Amino acid sequence: MATVTIQKLRKNYGAIPVLHGIDLAIADGQFVSLVGASGCGKSTLLRMIAGLESVTAGTIDLNGRVINDVSPKDRDIAMVFQNYALYPHMTVAQNMGFSLHLRKESPARIDQAVKETAALLGLSNYLDRYPKALSGGQRQRVAMGRAIVRHPQVFLFDEPLSNLDAKLRVQMRIEIRTLQRRLGTTAIYVTHDQMEAMTMSDLIVVMNGGRIEQVGAPIDVYDRPANLFVATFIGSPAMNLIEGVLEHEQGLSQVRVGGQRIAMGRRIDLAAAAPVVMGIRPEHLALAPAQGLEFTLPFKVDLIEPTGAESHVYGQTGSTSIVAALSRKDDLQLGQAVHLRGQCEHIHLFDKATGARLD
Amino acid sequence: MRKLTLHYLGRAGFALAVLVLLLWSLGPVYWAVLTSFTDPRDMLSEHLSLWPQHPTLEHFAKLFGASSASQGNEVQSVWPQFSRAFVNSLVTSAAATLVTLAAAAFGGYAFVRLRFPGRDLLFGLVVASMAVPAYTVMIPLYRLMISLHLIDTYLGVTLIYVSAFLPLALWLMRSVYQSLPVALEEAAWLDGAGRTYTLVRIVLPLAAPGLIATAILTFLSAWGQFMVPLVFSPSLATKSLTVLIPEFVTRNYVDYGLMNAAGVVAMLPPVLLVIFLNRFLVRGLIAGATK
Ligand SMILES: Nc1ncnc2c1ncn2[C@@H]1O[C@H](COP(=O)(O)OP(=O)(O)OP(=O)(O)O)[C@@H](O)[C@H]1O
Ligand SMILES: [Mg+2]
Repeated sequence: MATVTIQKLRKNYGAIPVLHGIDLAIADGQFVSLVGASGCGKSTLLRMIAGLESVTAGTIDLNGRVINDVSPKDRDIAMVFQNYALYPHMTVAQNMGFSLHLRKESPARIDQAVKETAALLGLSNYLDRYPKALSGGQRQRVAMGRAIVRHPQVFLFDEPLSNLDAKLRVQMRIEIRTLQRRLGTTAIYVTHDQMEAMTMSDLIVVMNGGRIEQVGAPIDVYDRPANLFVATFIGSPAMNLIEGVLEHEQGLSQVRVGGQRIAMGRRIDLAAAAPVVMGIRPEHLALAPAQGLEFTLPFKVDLIEPTGAESHVYGQTGSTSIVAALSRKDDLQLGQAVHLRGQCEHIHLFDKATGARLD
Repeated sequence: MRKLTLHYLGRAGFALAVLVLLLWSLGPVYWAVLTSFTDPRDMLSEHLSLWPQHPTLEHFAKLFGASSASQGNEVQSVWPQFSRAFVNSLVTSAAATLVTLAAAAFGGYAFVRLRFPGRDLLFGLVVASMAVPAYTVMIPLYRLMISLHLIDTYLGVTLIYVSAFLPLALWLMRSVYQSLPVALEEAAWLDGAGRTYTLVRIVLPLAAPGLIATAILTFLSAWGQFMVPLVFSPSLATKSLTVLIPEFVTRNYVDYGLMNAAGVVAMLPPVLLVIFLNRFLVRGLIAGATK
C-alpha cells in the first residue's frame, strides 16, 4: 500500500546533469512504466527511488515520508535487476528467503513463504538448484520471486525481460502484470519496449534527455501525444509527420502542404502562416474513402512489408516519406501511384517551432 | 609440409621450455630430497649420482632423535631447537596470514566500494610502498621495535610480516572485488542487508578464490622469510626455520645431510597448505549470477 511522489528531482553526475527536475505522482497499486530512448535517465530515476543513487536536489516521498536519505535497506522497496543479480552461491530457496532471513523471520515462516511464492511462479521443482543450473526464464522468475516473497511497498523493475526471447517476453509480461494486479503492489517498470509499456501499464511516463515529456494512461498518450517526441516515440510503425503551413478560413483552420490544403475541421490557436507538423498514424491511412471529413494524400509505393495481419506500405507523398498500415487485400504494386485517405479528426497537429501539440 | 615442420618445431620448443622450467624449479628440491637420504660417505664421493647409492634414514634420525652420533661422537640432539623453530615458523606465518587476510579482505573492499576523500591517493601510496627496499627500513624499524619492546616476540615478527605483505594482498583483493558485479551487493542492500553483512555473506564467498590465492601467497612469503627473523628473532623464542637451518653449519663441518633433512621437513607445511587450499579454489563460482 504505497504512494510514491517525486518532486523537482534532479541528478548530476559530477558536473553533468542527467535528470533535470522530474515531477511524478504514483498512486497506490498503480503499474507505471518509464519509457524513453537509451540514456534518457530511466535507470537513474529508478535507482534513485531504490536508494542506490544519491539525490542531487528535489524529493522522493514514499507514503508521505521523504526518503531521500533513507538507506536502501530501510526503504522496503524491492528491485528486479536487468541481469537478475541472483546470489550465485545460494540455492533458489535461499535466494528467495534471503530478505526474510534478514528480517529474522522464523525458519518455518520463511520456508512457507518461499514455497508459496515458488508455487506462484512455477519454481517449486527448482528450489534446491543453484542459479547456474537454471534457464534465463527461470532465473528471471527467481529474481521476481525474491522481490515478491517479501511483500515490499514498491516493486522496481529495470528492463527485466530484455534478456529473454520474444515469446517468453510476451508470456512473462502477462505473468508480471497478473501477479502485480493480484498483489496490488505499486510497481515502477523501466523498459525500452513500448509494446510492454502500452500493454502492462496504468500509467506511461515518456522520458527524453532527463525530462518527462508526457505522463498518462497508455491510450491517452497514444491518442493525444503531447508533443512531437512522444508522437514519434509511441507507436510502431511510428507516426507519419508531414510539414505544412497553418491557415485560417471562416473560423476553421487548414494546413497547406505542397499545393493542397487539408482541412482540420476545427480552429487551431496559432497565428496564420506558422509552420506546423501534421501527424498521422499509419493505421489511420487507407485506400477506401473515410467517414466524415476526409483528406487525401497522393502516394507512391516504394516498399511493402507484409506482417501477416496487415501490410506496412512505405512510400512518398510529395517529398515526405510516410508509411501506411493497409489491409492485405489492397494488393498494391511497387511503384504504383494511389491516393491515401484518412479522417481529418485523426490528424495530430504540432507547432513546428516548439514541438508542442496544438489542440 | 613446411607448416607441419614448423608445428613440430614449435611443440618441441615448448616442451623444451617446460623441461628447463621444471629442472629450474624442481632441481634444487630434488637435490635436497636426494641429499637427505644419502649416506654421508657417498656425499663426498667423486662422481655425482642422481639416486642414493646407499639410502639411509640416518639424517632424519639425527633430526628427530633424542640424541645422535656424528662421526662416532655423541652430539647434542638438534630436535629441541628444530621443533621450537618449526613451531615459531608456523605461528608467525599463520598469524601473519590471518591478520593480512582479514585486513586485505576488509581494506580492499573499502578501496573499491566506499567513497572517501583521498581514496585513490591512499591506495597509490600503499602500493608504492612495495617499491621501498626492505633494507632501507631495517634500521629505523629495528629501533622502533626496540623502543616498543617487540624484538624477539611473536607479535613483533607478525606485525612486520603484515606490514610487508599487506600492500600486495590489498592490491590482489581490490582487483578481485573490482571484478565482482556490484548489482549483487545492491540486491542484498535492497533485501535489507547492511554493508558488513553484505560483505560477509555475499561478497566474501564469491571472492573466495581470491582470498585463498592471497592466503597462499602470504603464507609462502612469510614461511620463506629470512632477513626479518634474522634481525628480529635473535633467540629461539621466535627464531624461524629459515634462520635455524643454516646454523647447522659448524666451524669444522657442514652437515649437508642434516640440513637437507631439515629442509625437506620445512617444505612440508607449505606444500600441504597449498594442496589443502587448492581444493577450495573452485572456478566458476560466479556463474549463474547474471543474465
Ligand atoms: N555513474 C555515472 N557517471 C556519469 N554519467 C552517468 C553515470 N551513470 C549514468 N550516467 C549517464 O546518465 C544518463 C542516464 O543513464 P541511465 O542509465 O539512467 O539511462 P537509461 O535511460 O536507463 O538508458 P538505457 O535505456 O540504455 O538503460 C546517461 O547519459 C549516462 O551516460
Ligand atoms: Mg537503463
